[in-house]
Amino acid sequence: MEVVVSSYSMIRVDRYYEASLTELGLAAAKSIFENLKEKVEPDVVLIANSYSEKTANQVLLSSKIARALGFASPSFRVESGDSSGGASIYAAYKMIKSGSVKTVLIIGAEKLSDFPSSYLNEILLQNMEEEYESRVGILPQSYSALRMKIYMKKYGVDYDYFVNWPYLMHKYGSENPYAYLKFQVDKDAVKNSQLISEPLRLFDTAARADGAAAVLLASEDVAKKIGDSDVKVKDVSSSSGHLEMDGIPSLRGAFAKMGRPKFDYLEVHDSYSIQAALILEELGFTRGKSLEEIESVPVNFSGGLKSRGYPGGATGIYQLIEAAMQLSGEFPGRRAQGVEKALVVSTDDLGYSSFLTYLSR
Amino acid sequence: MRKVKIFPPQVWRNKETMYRLIAAKCTSCGNVMFPARDVCNKCGSTKVTKVRLSGKGTLISYTVNYQSLPGMEKVQPSYIGLIKLDEGIEIVAPLTDVDENLREGARVEATIRRIRADSTNGLIEYGVKFRLVENEPNR
Repeated sequence: MEVVVSSYSMIRVDRYYEASLTELGLAAAKSIFENLKEKVEPDVVLIANSYSEKTANQVLLSSKIARALGFASPSFRVESGDSSGGASIYAAYKMIKSGSVKTVLIIGAEKLSDFPSSYLNEILLQNMEEEYESRVGILPQSYSALRMKIYMKKYGVDYDYFVNWPYLMHKYGSENPYAYLKFQVDKDAVKNSQLISEPLRLFDTAARADGAAAVLLASEDVAKKIGDSDVKVKDVSSSSGHLEMDGIPSLRGAFAKMGRPKFDYLEVHDSYSIQAALILEELGFTRGKSLEEIESVPVNFSGGLKSRGYPGGATGIYQLIEAAMQLSGEFPGRRAQGVEKALVVSTDDLGYSSFLTYLSR
Repeated sequence: MRKVKIFPPQVWRNKETMYRLIAAKCTSCGNVMFPARDVCNKCGSTKVTKVRLSGKGTLISYTVNYQSLPGMEKVQPSYIGLIKLDEGIEIVAPLTDVDENLREGARVEATIRRIRADSTNGLIEYGVKFRLVENEPNR
């Protein structure tokens, strides 16, 4: 039984001061049901969200959103930090493959722009291990800065090596109507941007913002009745791992379990430029040269987290939709030609967890 | 400014980690874990004993962090180091008393410093930071 990406919808990543977290989620879900040929009550509703306790003082999000949509379906919030999106796709795929569930509605929703940066940092600090790192204030940005320095030393590259990534992401994102930072940047603007944690600069990080995206996964038989999509989730894979300075063991594990499949389109979780490099290198790009090789395979034509934006746990759902739209030839921004197999890499901010989704037409 | 709240049980139960640098060592494979855990995160063995770290180590790399956190605004910018402890494990930890140019390969040692204070009742949370060792004979 194949799993089909039956329908999807997303709102532009932005600052939505006028909308609550629940309202954002509903906004994304609404258009899915407007487009279906037949009325469907999903067998399961999953909410991909990482930070609702601190950002909206909310728990029980999944049940609230399901009820607001008029569904009595069982519902769960999937929390796996910024990889919540990938984690929810993994769960939904396995549920449908089990045969006991036919349709799963996944709504990714996150609200990160209501706050000043010091409070946003306190939210992000939750990603670090509790007893020591988080109590003494080691932010993921500093961890990434150290990774950058280790990388620079190991491969003998300087800061300029990393500039190509945000430059390209903004070039791609400037064509994506759903992008938060929908503009191009020149390389000097990247090099002279604000220092976050030396040598890491603003453009080496990603733009945290509000967003919501929804996808309806369905078994092939149901998918045929309710829509015309022929994009399928062929496989999913995931691993947990320790943090490494010069690699991402969780991704290494997940990619190996999947059998290192070939792909002709990639969406990756570039929470930092260094994270993009480490991800690409785990997928087979040359170590120490990955960011010079990114024109060989189409990567992040969405603009990635840097330009499309970084709505926390909802990010993985955006990635899935963007890759699905590349496969169906419907992506409204820059399009890759003749895409047959796409790989989506959803990780948390630093890569404790990796979730892979492999899509095909 | 955002109020900082410190909950004494959270600080109290963390005392071995923060004030005594207690780590765990796997008796099967020798892996050292800080903070201490009851199960080895390398080989999965449950035969794990507690060891006290020397607090001495070598600075592998460092970063100057310009991001602020509620209650830690006074320490800005802050210095964060990647430290290889003499027991063989690497940790990422704040550096303190930095008044000279840091260099990779420098020797560092653990010390106790104020981390943050509760905005209402003044409770102070302390924790381990690392500082440069001036002269270290007989290493």
